[in-house]
This record gives sequence, C-alpha cells and structure tokens, in this order.
Amino acid sequence: MSDSIGSYKASLEGLYRYLSRYVPLTRQEFSQLLPYIEIREFDKKVKVIDHGEIERYLNVIAWGLVRKYLPVKNREITIGLAAEGHIVHSELSFHYRIPSATVIETIEPTVFFSISYDSLQELYDRFPKAERLGRLLISDLYVRKDNRYFDQLLQSTRERFLQYVRTHPQMMQRVPQKYIASYLNIKPETFSRLKHLMRPGKVRASVTS
Amino acid sequence: MLELLRQYVSDYVTLTDEDFSILATKIMVRTFDKHVQLIQPGEVERHMNFVVKGLVRQYFYKGRTEVVTVLARERELVSASASFLSGEPSNYFVETLEPTTLLSLTREDLEDVYRQSPRVERVGRLMTTQFVLQKEEWEQGYMRMDTRERFIRFVEKDPGLIQRVPQKYLASYLNMKPETFSRLKHLLKKRPVPGR
Repeated sequence: MSDSIGSYKASLEGLYRYLSRYVPLTRQEFSQLLPYIEIREFDKKVKVIDHGEIERYLNVIAWGLVRKYLPVKNREITIGLAAEGHIVHSELSFHYRIPSATVIETIEPTVFFSISYDSLQELYDRFPKAERLGRLLISDLYVRKDNRYFDQLLQSTRERFLQYVRTHPQMMQRVPQKYIASYLNIKPETFSRLKHLMRPGKVRASVTS
Repeated sequence: MLELLRQYVSDYVTLTDEDFSILATKIMVRTFDKHVQLIQPGEVERHMNFVVKGLVRQYFYKGRTEVVTVLARERELVSASASFLSGEPSNYFVETLEPTTLLSLTREDLEDVYRQSPRVERVGRLMTTQFVLQKEEWEQGYMRMDTRERFIRFVEKDPGLIQRVPQKYLASYLNMKPETFSRLKHLLKKRPVPGR
C-alpha cells in the first residue's frame, strides 16, 4: 500500500503542475484544494459511469486510460480517449444533472482525482481563484473540442489518421485499434490498411493474411 | 438593449448594479447590414458578441461546400469563440444573415472586467461551460440521430428559425442535402410535430 501512496504523491505533483499552467497556485493554496478531491481506483474494463446514470464527478486521470462512447443501437461510437493528465466526465450529465447518454469505461487499470458536483460548487464559492481556474480549464476544453471537431469535418480519412499518429504516438501503443478507428470515424479495415503509412520508407508491396 | 443582456446574464448569476455597470461601461453597440462578414479564417477573433437583433452564422468551406456550424439569433452569444478564447487564428467565417445589432466586448476588456468582479468572472465560466455543452450536444446529435431525427429535434427546439434562415444553410447546419431538407419540411406540414 505504501507503494501506491508514494505513487499518488508523484501524481499529485503532476496535478499541481497541471493546474498551475492555468493559474499560478502556491503550495498552500493547492493543499487547500486537496480535501475536496477524492482518489478513485478502477480495474480495467470497468464502467465508471453507465448510460442512464447521473454523472457525479469531474475526473482528472492520475494514471491509466479510459474511453468514452455512445451506445447506438448495436454498436458503440467512441467519442473520447483520455490518458494521464486529461479531464474526463460525462459533461452534459454532470452540468445539467440529467441521465448520461455516454458511457465511460476504463481500458487499463485507472486512478482518478475526482471532484464531486457539490464539492466543486463549494470550492467555487469559497475560493475566488477557483473561479478563474475553472474558467480557464473550461476554455481550454472548449478550444480542444472545437479543433477536434473541425478536423473531423474537414480532413480526409487519411489526414485524420496521419495527424492522430503524429500527435498521439503513445495512444497507438496503448489503445485497441478498433477504438481508435471508431474515434477517428474510420472503418477498421481502412484503419488496418492505413497503418502502413506509419513506417515511412518501408514500402510494403502486399500484406499477407 | 442593455436590459436584454442583463436578463440573459441573470439566468446564470445575479449581478449587483455595480457589477453590471462595470460590464456595461466596456460594451460597444455594433450594427451591421445583412451578409457582412465579421471575421474570416486566419484572423483572430477580438469580440464576444451578444445578439440583440438579427441572425448570424458561423461556417467554413470543405472544398467548395459551405459547412454551417452555428446559427445564432437574439439573446444568444456569437463569436468565432474558439479563436476568441485561445487567441489563435479562426478556422471559421462569421457572417450576418439579417441586419444585426450586437453588444460586443473585446477580449482585453473582458479580462479587465473579470479582474474587477469575481461575479462577472463566474458568468464567464458558466457561459464558457455552455459553449462546451452546446458543442457536445451537437456532436452527439450528429452521431446518434438519423437525418429525420435531427430535423425534428431542430424544429422542436427552434421553431422560429426555420422561417428565417435560408434552407440551404439550415440543411448544411443539420448535415443533410437540401433536397432531403425540402422533403422533410413538406412532411412536417402534413403532420405537425407531436407535442406542438
């Protein structure tokens, strides 16, 4: 157990640096935030929030890997892939207090730093600086969402694939291919075919099956 | 005009007279004819705008096709918002569709107001959250719903817009062919949307 506490310390340090990017925080201010934060551990392939539940938490990933998907008829559309340092929650459910349309499921064993909806409101009321932190974090979330959405609409399949590989090499190693394909809105067969582009210079004339 | 803005803001946070007057001193009233481009791709958005009167769209070109991503009318905020928030060049055009009156704040002035009033900063946080949620809702509708469902949801939510916005823009906004849009519109005349 002492092992994992040691690891949390390292992750909390990561959280401190992460938040400080948005608003300069003293160590003392950071330690005032800690009582509001819960540490939540999950095994792999666990649904952190299911379709129809109300999202109670906003989470920052301390370590691990999760995906967010929409169950649609008999398939799942992956709309988010998140690893260490990313924020993940079922936004509409969390902010509007309505049942979640999306499912968040761990891919690897995962630890979250979580803040509940009520704790977050309390934090905003008690610490004026939290207001700015929240605003800037949300702005950043919006800008990234907008860029992703724009790319999705504008780029060809091949361009989407290449950009993702370039910007997320570690995700290619960690995330099952079918989820990345779904996230990029690329058919699994096409995704397999595009993988040859990852090795520039190595021309593969054919793929044996 | 300012009263309209005050009502809108009070849905988020109750501002004192002093808070509101800090905000009000920075506001510019801007009026535009129809079909005026407020911003083009590559420019950095300087303004956050509240629509007092009129109609505005945000769009970009995919090849030669226009893709409409936002339609904003009275009592809504409009801007190349990602550019406004990030300070990066815009990916989008923002254009008036009708003669339009906007209440506008520059980024610098807004930052200044935030520093003076934590309650206005809260309004800023909640409105930015609203941008995120609208985008999320749009994306989910886009992926979950079929063409007809998207059309019906839109008509139920915003019955007025269908009269005001040219069909080709509505079709683009709802990600469907103009022919499909016409066909769906025809169906709705015969069978009104349930619950209306």
